[in-house]
Amino acid sequence: MDWPKKSERNKNLKQIIAFTSFKLLSYAVVMILFLILAQIVFKGFSVISWEFLTAMPEDGMTKGGIFPAIVGTFYLVLGSMIFAFPIGVLSAIYINEYTKDSFYKRFIKLMTNSLAGIPSIVFGLFGMTLFVNTLGFGDSILAGSLTLGLLTLPVVIRTTEEALKSVDDSFRHGGYALGATKLQTIRRVVLPIAFPNIITGLILSIGRVSGETAPILFTVAAYFLPKLPSGIFDQVMALPYHLYVISTSGTNVAESQPIAYGTALVLIMIVLLVNIAANTLRRYLGKKVKMN
Amino acid sequence: MTHLDKESLQLKTDLIGMWNLVISQLNKTHEALINFDKDLAHEVVANEKRVNGHELKIDNDCENLFALFNPVAIDLRFTLAVLKINSNLERTGDMADGIGRFILNGNGPFDEELLKVTQVIHMYDEASSMLVDILMAFEHENTKIARSIFKRDEILNQININSIQVVADYIRTHPDNIEQALFVLSIIRKLERVGDHCKNIAEEIIFYIEAKVLKHASKKQKAE
Amino acid sequence: MNHIIATEKLNLFYNDFHALKDINMKMRANTVTALIGPSGCGKSTYLRLFNRMNDLIDGVKITGDVRVEGKDIYEKNTDVVDLRRKVGMVFQKPNPFPKTIFENVAYGLRVNGINDNGFIKDKVEQSLVQSALWDEVKDKMNKSAFELSGGQQQRLCIARALAIEPSIILMDEPASALDPISTAKIEELIYELKQNYTIVIVTHNMQQAARVSDHTAFFYLGELIEYGETKEIFTNPKDKKTQNYITGRFG
Repeated sequence: MDWPKKSERNKNLKQIIAFTSFKLLSYAVVMILFLILAQIVFKGFSVISWEFLTAMPEDGMTKGGIFPAIVGTFYLVLGSMIFAFPIGVLSAIYINEYTKDSFYKRFIKLMTNSLAGIPSIVFGLFGMTLFVNTLGFGDSILAGSLTLGLLTLPVVIRTTEEALKSVDDSFRHGGYALGATKLQTIRRVVLPIAFPNIITGLILSIGRVSGETAPILFTVAAYFLPKLPSGIFDQVMALPYHLYVISTSGTNVAESQPIAYGTALVLIMIVLLVNIAANTLRRYLGKKVKMN
Repeated sequence: MTHLDKESLQLKTDLIGMWNLVISQLNKTHEALINFDKDLAHEVVANEKRVNGHELKIDNDCENLFALFNPVAIDLRFTLAVLKINSNLERTGDMADGIGRFILNGNGPFDEELLKVTQVIHMYDEASSMLVDILMAFEHENTKIARSIFKRDEILNQININSIQVVADYIRTHPDNIEQALFVLSIIRKLERVGDHCKNIAEEIIFYIEAKVLKHASKKQKAE
Repeated sequence: MNHIIATEKLNLFYNDFHALKDINMKMRANTVTALIGPSGCGKSTYLRLFNRMNDLIDGVKITGDVRVEGKDIYEKNTDVVDLRRKVGMVFQKPNPFPKTIFENVAYGLRVNGINDNGFIKDKVEQSLVQSALWDEVKDKMNKSAFELSGGQQQRLCIARALAIEPSIILMDEPASALDPISTAKIEELIYELKQNYTIVIVTHNMQQAARVSDHTAFFYLGELIEYGETKEIFTNPKDKKTQNYITGRFG
């Protein structure tokens, strides 16, 4: 019996059309990203200098550097991580390794996911109410770090949980079968395997925290503060907020535009470096974890 | 040495044990025939049970080896060969048992002249040395010795063919000793069968070692 | 003859599912017992009773007796960690830890509180020799266990189990993920280990059960259909179902 004729040409044409359109769309995404980057680099590159990075702002922030903002962002990231990492990682271990009750587990998950969905400005408001006013920390690094920490907590929990989930159960069973307790198995088998992925998640959340503006708006960020903080109860400037200030409500918006682009470039570079660091570290640890 | 190797070796050892038992059975009837030793003949008949017991055990071991190890290639041929050699040895044992019974039923020492003209003693020597040599071929996996068996079997066949005329002549000259003459003729028939069993065993050994099937092959082919 | 493992009127439920039905079975020390049967017949579940790995699954209920070395291991005051030290386990997929070859074998000792490095070193070597892996790995003890082949990894997992000196080793289809040569090596190893250990092995491979075991138990739909000498089971099974299964006519 003869096979019915297939419309070969038609089929190939469809393939080509589909393939080409997917390709073009993905190029478009890259193009957009490239355009944004190009604009910022093009406009910001000229102001970047050693002085720009290490000097105080001058002349109503139209001249000088952004040093206090860089330092401020650094402190805020550090503070929020000190708060969010241990709590986040430990809760993720608890959720993934210890909770058996599926209802309870689902409830916690729902809550952490909802937390992740709350707009960051709401965190800012909450931080102001709780840390700044109720607990009396005032506008300070402490209040800002805690607020940023809260914001990033669900991300840390989620990524750690995913990292733990990706550890095959056969490793856990192997541990138990050798007479290891649950804690020993988690500490000596599960965590070392999950470690590279956990670290990557954490570093990516650093990138996110360093760019947040809304949560620090009411809790720590100073409009203009040409000196470095001396303690955790001091206010600081921060890169994203500084960028917002000089491009919207500075003393001379038009004149400080180059500085705004310079600030944006620094911010983007930081996020980019953090991402590259995350990838390198994961690859390095991925190898190392198999070795030790 | 693998588990299967160990089991195969055990099987080989058991078969060699069976072999030696059968050789001793045959040799005992030889002696009993010459000396007309009814006690010895009785022992052979009684020992037939042991031969049968050995046969059953080796059969059973082969069955287990097939069932548990699913042998292939040389292991498969070895096990098949053991199975068949085993039954040939058992029949050889039966021959010894049959000869033993003739002696038990006999009513006096065999006539020396009868034994001499029929060449039955020579046949005996040849048959038991074939059985010993073919055992050697099996133990050392030597197909050259195995091949030499085919020629030697022809000696037995020749004696067997001649025996009718010889016995007929003997009966004519000794009409009073017909019974003994017929006994000896039967013994010759049985020894000829022993030669055939040796030949079968040789074929099995060559099959197991060289994977060549020599059954029903011409003499020329066998010599190669 | 005393029995190192025994179950009496053992029933196991996964929630409402009756997974094992009235299993009575006794195993002698220094023998290999194979558990065979079609998938889902309960043989793996039965195996995991003896080191209480079923505890890790929710909704498992057990009635009846499970005795290991004469003691009811489902009694309230049983130390599960201690039990698992005595009853080692090897899994279907080789699951070495992401550590060095040395540390993999040393792991069981370390989690059991042994810190004497000299002792650990000797024990690691001894276990690797026993699992017939020593010659292949002695020059790369500090290499990652993942650099080994699948068959070597599985023998490493066996060495890891041996290091803590169990008296019983449970094997859950230990060769099903391996190539034929590695499988043959594992089977030879099981035959060797029988001298010093009691081994219970679950296998889908009937020939494997035939080759390595002294006794074979055939499970079907949660019931123990037939249990006896492997020779008997494979030459003259008493039950029609056993015969049909081992001859490949069903299951």
